[in-house]
Amino acid sequence: MKKLLQKIAKKSPWLYRINAGSCNGCDVELATTACIPRYDVERLGCKYCGSPKHADIVLITGPLTARVKEKVLRLYDEIPDPKVTVAIGVCPISGGVFRDSYAITGPIDKFIPVDVNVPGCPPRPQAIIDGIVEAIKIWETRL
Amino acid sequence: MTDIVKLIFDLLIFPGGLFAVVFGLFLMGIDRKIAARLQRRVGPPVYQPFIDLVKLTRKEIVVPETAHLQAFRLAPLLGFVGMMAAVTLIPIAGVYQGFEHLGDLLVLLYLLSLPAIALMIGGSASSSPFGAIGFSREMVMMMSYELPLLIVLVTVAMKVGLATGGIATFSLSEIVQFQLENGALLFDYTMLPALLAFLVFIPGNMGVVPFDIPEAETEIVEGPILEYSGTGLALFKLMTSLKMVVVLGLAIALFFPTPLGENFLINLLWFFLKCLVLMVISITVVRTSTGRIRMDQAFKFYLKYPTVLALISLVLTLLQG
Repeated sequence: MKKLLQKIAKKSPWLYRINAGSCNGCDVELATTACIPRYDVERLGCKYCGSPKHADIVLITGPLTARVKEKVLRLYDEIPDPKVTVAIGVCPISGGVFRDSYAITGPIDKFIPVDVNVPGCPPRPQAIIDGIVEAIKIWETRL
Repeated sequence: MTDIVKLIFDLLIFPGGLFAVVFGLFLMGIDRKIAARLQRRVGPPVYQPFIDLVKLTRKEIVVPETAHLQAFRLAPLLGFVGMMAAVTLIPIAGVYQGFEHLGDLLVLLYLLSLPAIALMIGGSASSSPFGAIGFSREMVMMMSYELPLLIVLVTVAMKVGLATGGIATFSLSEIVQFQLENGALLFDYTMLPALLAFLVFIPGNMGVVPFDIPEAETEIVEGPILEYSGTGLALFKLMTSLKMVVVLGLAIALFFPTPLGENFLINLLWFFLKCLVLMVISITVVRTSTGRIRMDQAFKFYLKYPTVLALISLVLTLLQG
């Protein structure tokens, strides 16, 4: 029974986007990926949701600046539990062009467990969709 | 004894309960699919709402620290149970009689305002500023769309009442019976403005795009249901789908209940088809082809057009009778 429910439930991952101080490049790429008809993510069952309480897969962009650190951690705690984190862009991995800046508190995986990395500056839409598919595979094991 | 068994069956299995939930969720799925096709996308499968519900029951429930607990937990239940009761009042011609009471139309009117009230309670109890904004907007929306609805219901009741020798008939089964004997009200020219008013009322009540001001996703992040997660959110989704069945079923009972022959299953399919056509006209096409309007614009719109249309119908009916 539990296996069946797992199998059914994995087809409805809802996406939530956190901007941890990114330059907006990845955000634009994300918005075009999931929103415009061309790369229709809704056929995977995904839905962009505005509230962190509804989310399953968290997409984080940006290098986690000192100013937004507390807010991002609070937002991450609000997301209900079977959840998967996807870091979009090169900034969450190393800081990218902002590396060694005094305003950056470091790579995101110091504070938040990151499951999938999608590198690129910004990554291509196909790469982002591929990352979401990877995340769905990980999410299935946690349900 | 058999009465009680029949009542429980009505409430839990056939017109209410299981059947209505499946019916409503399928309507939602078809709505999403058609909306996707209209935007040249592939869209999710038709059974996507079921999957969403299964997933939501497996999620953790997060409750805000400052929320009023009892009200926060009971609000989705209130809306869901209210809609479940409302479904049993809707007669399906040739399939289900409905409750034969004197004033079930008035009861339905009160039950129809329950989802909005549940959203208001939930939004205000969640102690979130977005919830509070959603709450106030929901209240204004409700005040604006209830007036044309009330006038349409009174018009239909007076039409049937005057024709049968009384003043007004507030019984849905009698209204359906009258139309089965004397032809559907859809083909009566005096009722066309009322039908138009009802078609305009449907998107406002369902909260779809031009009138989704209370739960504006991009502006106040879904307003009243912002703080709900897991089963609470699932109940709100169920409530919305049941509300769709109730509103579309009410429109069909008021204007075009004519069945196709005697067969039970064919009549049920015919009802489904009528619901589908009505939904595509009044919800899907409207929500894919428009953008959101402001609160004051929606309020003025509802007081200007549907109310005047319904009043024209009422005056014509009174002049005829």
